Amino acid sequence: MNLVQQLINGLILGHAYALIAIGWTVLLGVARLVNFGHGQMYMIGAFMAWWATAPLGLPYPVAVLVAVAAGALLGLLVQAVMLRLTLEQNLVSIMIVTLGFGHVLRGAASLAFGGTPQVLETPPSLIEFELAGAWITAQDLLIVAAAILVFALLRGVVERGRLGRTARMVAEDPKLAQLAGIDVTRVYLAVFAFEGAAVALAAALVAPRTPILTSIGFEEVIVTFVVVVLGGIGSVAGSYLAGVGLGLFTALFGGFVSPAYTTAASFAVLTAVLVLRPGGLAAGRAVR
Amino acid sequence: MSDVVLEARDLVVAYGGNLALDLPHLALRPGELVGVVGANGAGKSTLVNALLGWSRGTPRISGSVRLAGEEIGALPTHERVRRGLLLVPEGGPVFGRLTVAENLAAAEAAAGRRGYTEAEVFDLFPRLRERLHHAGAALSGGERQMLAIARSLRLGPRALLLDEPSIGLAPRLVSTVLRTVRRLVDAGLPVLLVEQNVRAAIEVVDRLVLLERGRILAEGPVAAMRDDPRIIEAYLGDTVA
Repeated sequence: MNLVQQLINGLILGHAYALIAIGWTVLLGVARLVNFGHGQMYMIGAFMAWWATAPLGLPYPVAVLVAVAAGALLGLLVQAVMLRLTLEQNLVSIMIVTLGFGHVLRGAASLAFGGTPQVLETPPSLIEFELAGAWITAQDLLIVAAAILVFALLRGVVERGRLGRTARMVAEDPKLAQLAGIDVTRVYLAVFAFEGAAVALAAALVAPRTPILTSIGFEEVIVTFVVVVLGGIGSVAGSYLAGVGLGLFTALFGGFVSPAYTTAASFAVLTAVLVLRPGGLAAGRAVR
Repeated sequence: MSDVVLEARDLVVAYGGNLALDLPHLALRPGELVGVVGANGAGKSTLVNALLGWSRGTPRISGSVRLAGEEIGALPTHERVRRGLLLVPEGGPVFGRLTVAENLAAAEAAAGRRGYTEAEVFDLFPRLRERLHHAGAALSGGERQMLAIARSLRLGPRALLLDEPSIGLAPRLVSTVLRTVRRLVDAGLPVLLVEQNVRAAIEVVDRLVLLERGRILAEGPVAAMRDDPRIIEAYLGDTVA
């Protein structure tokens, strides 16, 4: 494969990474919270999209909506359960609860969907064409377009207008935000619902690239972690750039060095960036 | 009492079994500036925080809080704020990453309530207009205090609670802030002012409440309290720092 092909692959992969990570970016930036069940929520989103298309026979766009709705509900559920911990900003307990939540989701998915790998066949994934020597599908273009759209919308919302300002106030000081008349509980619930919906959207768009198993999700949470930290915690633009950058790095490293060591190499880059620039690529620009 | 704007009855606050406040009754009337004084740990901040149901810790709060005749003691903090009970906590905290303009724009009065306009708050605190595009974190202590009060005014207060607005400020600024508070009160806004600087507070308040170990030790019109030996001995005597 030549360089241009690897760059195209990297761009597609990078947008997929950015899309998978966007929920966590908002979660960390707005609520200063983490969700280690993020990977399993991705897995559930993928299964919901498959379930809506294959067994139910719904059109793919409707299946995407089903997955997004399920993701938002899951997000709301996990936040409602651990609301007290969130209000107390008890991060250690939140990590444990969300890790446990991820395992519960995996168990529930095994019961509901079984152990057979499933394939999410979508109309855009069947449309193939050649671009500069690389074979890409309409699904790949959909991923890139959706990532750009979601990031552009989010950047607009977070940086301008009431909603973003409210989010930034809660991120900076949730207690003080209460004294400004903000219902902090509602903001936290909304943020988790968004995180669930965003990762489910990512799953519904990205999952057609790989088989769907109840064991998927680990790689996605690692990728998310790298993207969010590299981009500067809470930075919308930083996450986008970090996602695309990681995708390009993975494709180039995998293509020209060895695909077996891309994760290790990614973490080496992450470590180097954090040593040189502790706040990530967008240091000092929270929720931007 | 129909002319009471804010009233607390049997307000009790405890932290992990330790009683921090036991207040049988407190009332604030329109156009009244009530000062709450007392030593460190007397329960002054606990009192104003409890009126809002707000705390950075997790206290147990019981008792009745009525605002304009409506019981609000069971409401969450943000709902009390929307009904017009505003608190400026100690240190005048502001959103440091937001500019002064954003801090002010973020404070919107709830539906049905009229907040101070930007022009009105700039009239009270002209310095804020000059610092409009500076981040909250870049403001001086006095400017932060002004911004914190201005933000509360924008939210349409029925009653305003100020927790030690003079703390950390230069004497000239203390007098500026307290005179501005007096202006607000003279315009009809009732204010409960927690203050350690008794000497400064006594110049502007109408009534004084002296707290000690979470209980009211004495209270009354400032003219009478000024001569109270407990006030003189503890706060106005030569030994006062």
